[in-house]
Amino acid sequence: MKSVQFSVASRREGDAAIIYPKGYLNNLSGENLVIECGIYIGKGITKIVVNFSETDLINSIGISMLLQIIEDLKNIKGTICCTNMSKLLRDTFEMLGLMQHMLVFPVESDALTYLKTGKL
Amino acid sequence: MPFNAIPAEDFLNREPELNYLKGLSKLKANALGGDVFLDGARGMGKTELQKQLYRILFWENNVVPFYYSFKTANLKGTYFAQDYFTGFVRQYISFVKKDPSIANNVAEPLQRLMPTISSLGLYWLIDCIEDFQGHVNKNDFYWQLVAAISAPVMAAQKMGKPVIVMLDDFDEAAHLYESSLGDAHGLISLFGESMRNRLCPHVITGSAGALEPIFTDHSLIGMTERMRLGPLPEDLAIALFRAHLTNLKITCAPGVQLEFLDLLRGNPFYIKNLAKAAWKMQKNVITEKDLIECYSFEVSDGETAFYWASVFSRYVKNPAQSKAMLKLLMHAIENGGIEDGKRLSMVSGLGEAETETLLNALTTSGIMRVKDAVLHDFIHCLYMKEIEGRNVSDAREKIEAKYIQEREESCFELVIPMSSNAELVVAKAVEQIGKNINLDAEFLNYLQLALIEVCINAIEHSGSYEKKVFLKFITRPDKLEIIVENSGRPFSLESIKEVPVEEKMRLGMKRGWGYKLVHKIMDSVKVERVNDRTRVILTKNIDNGS
Repeated sequence: MKSVQFSVASRREGDAAIIYPKGYLNNLSGENLVIECGIYIGKGITKIVVNFSETDLINSIGISMLLQIIEDLKNIKGTICCTNMSKLLRDTFEMLGLMQHMLVFPVESDALTYLKTGKL
Repeated sequence: MPFNAIPAEDFLNREPELNYLKGLSKLKANALGGDVFLDGARGMGKTELQKQLYRILFWENNVVPFYYSFKTANLKGTYFAQDYFTGFVRQYISFVKKDPSIANNVAEPLQRLMPTISSLGLYWLIDCIEDFQGHVNKNDFYWQLVAAISAPVMAAQKMGKPVIVMLDDFDEAAHLYESSLGDAHGLISLFGESMRNRLCPHVITGSAGALEPIFTDHSLIGMTERMRLGPLPEDLAIALFRAHLTNLKITCAPGVQLEFLDLLRGNPFYIKNLAKAAWKMQKNVITEKDLIECYSFEVSDGETAFYWASVFSRYVKNPAQSKAMLKLLMHAIENGGIEDGKRLSMVSGLGEAETETLLNALTTSGIMRVKDAVLHDFIHCLYMKEIEGRNVSDAREKIEAKYIQEREESCFELVIPMSSNAELVVAKAVEQIGKNINLDAEFLNYLQLALIEVCINAIEHSGSYEKKVFLKFITRPDKLEIIVENSGRPFSLESIKEVPVEEKMRLGMKRGWGYKLVHKIMDSVKVERVNDRTRVILTKNIDNGS
């Protein structure tokens, strides 16, 4: 377990936004994540990739925040792709039955290719 | 008898107390000191301290020692007066002649001692005996008591030599009666005159709870200082145990650290009994495992068990009360104390009034307050035998298994504040604990997650004013147990509803995942309410084969 202060970075690639949460994803950081996604959704972006490569730990409050993003995108018929997830994160989402509400890719480029071409 | 003290060299770590008590008569003569109440847990050596003091004073010849132990059989006032008075006379003559056998020979009537007393020129003592006998002949209850209690003062005044009066189990004096139990309250206050006398310092032992009302009796108030006898430090406890073993011709196996003795918390009585148990069990060379075996014998069938059983019998009148008391004590041990309320009568199986009387007696005795692992094990053993109907060997096996298992376990405790990200400290701690016991690195991540969830739940929902979460990690070869406790609002697993994700989204309920994760990660999750605390017990079995 690394003790990294949470931060969230993002960039845009084509019609998709890529979000990079870093550190421990809990209530405060989860809110930042929701805000960051909300900014893109507000600009009309419906495709969001969340790259978890630097998320070392998550708690149930962080998960509930992620559920908020899933719901927001569902309301605008958008797509959420999660990439670079650790086994712990994947298993956690699996345990809670979240996997069916998101698209999961091993790496960010796979998700972008899918969003561009509609193919894996 | 005061002369059956242990050898002075085996009486460890009480030099400051002994020196103070030796000088007590001078302090009292100068109004710088008064009487002393020896306070300390049972078995801590209060009686032994009196006996050691007695022996020193006896041979030093500056102060006359008088020791009296209150006995249940002698609480009838006239019996007590006779016993106290003759005891004093014998010990006084014994002191003057420097002949311990006179004090020890309790069966010899005072009349036979008259020639000795005359030869010593103690004619005032003969007058004293005759006066006392006069009160007996007239059946004068009050004056028999007064004459007996004031005999040491009389001697001190006649001879100008102070008398230290050592009263063992003095609280029993509160039960002195005339013809039937409870018919004469307050006779204990007759000691007031004697205790006030400058030539007669008193050194008293007894249950602190029971003596409190006695010291607040207006005739005795403010005359007594408290001397607390603490446990022996660890190194001296080990030294004392080794000394006992040597006396019993038992040796320790090479490399034995006697770590198990920690459990006895430096209590000289327990230490002596454990050594004697080793002797009774014919151990020649003792190992740590032998100690556990001897200990299980002690708390189930040995002198320690006998001692505590005798103490208990003071507070119960019949077998039904005895069982009820046992149930209450076991309940208190398991729940870290005893709460008020009607539920206790359900525990005891007696009516509310009778339960309350029993609880009051237990509170006065101080047994309820004692955090003594040995006493707890004795209670547990007795409970297994009397309530669960197990046989002694079963009970002993249970106790042994507990300590053999404990020797293989290690325990870490942690307290975190209910503040932001405090759960990460727990995650970090469990990471290192897991590494110490070679837990699988991947599983450690899940364990961190589970613990974070339990801590968050406590922090978010307890509403605790204490604002602390208490964690205990117990690692055993086959299992990891984590106990998380916090005060505040009760919580139960039954209150958690399983809601599918789709339903959560539909209902806008995005929270409530925590315990679902915890259940998936741990092998067992239990939630208990202990007094005002919620206790969550998480268990993970460790598969050593993988």
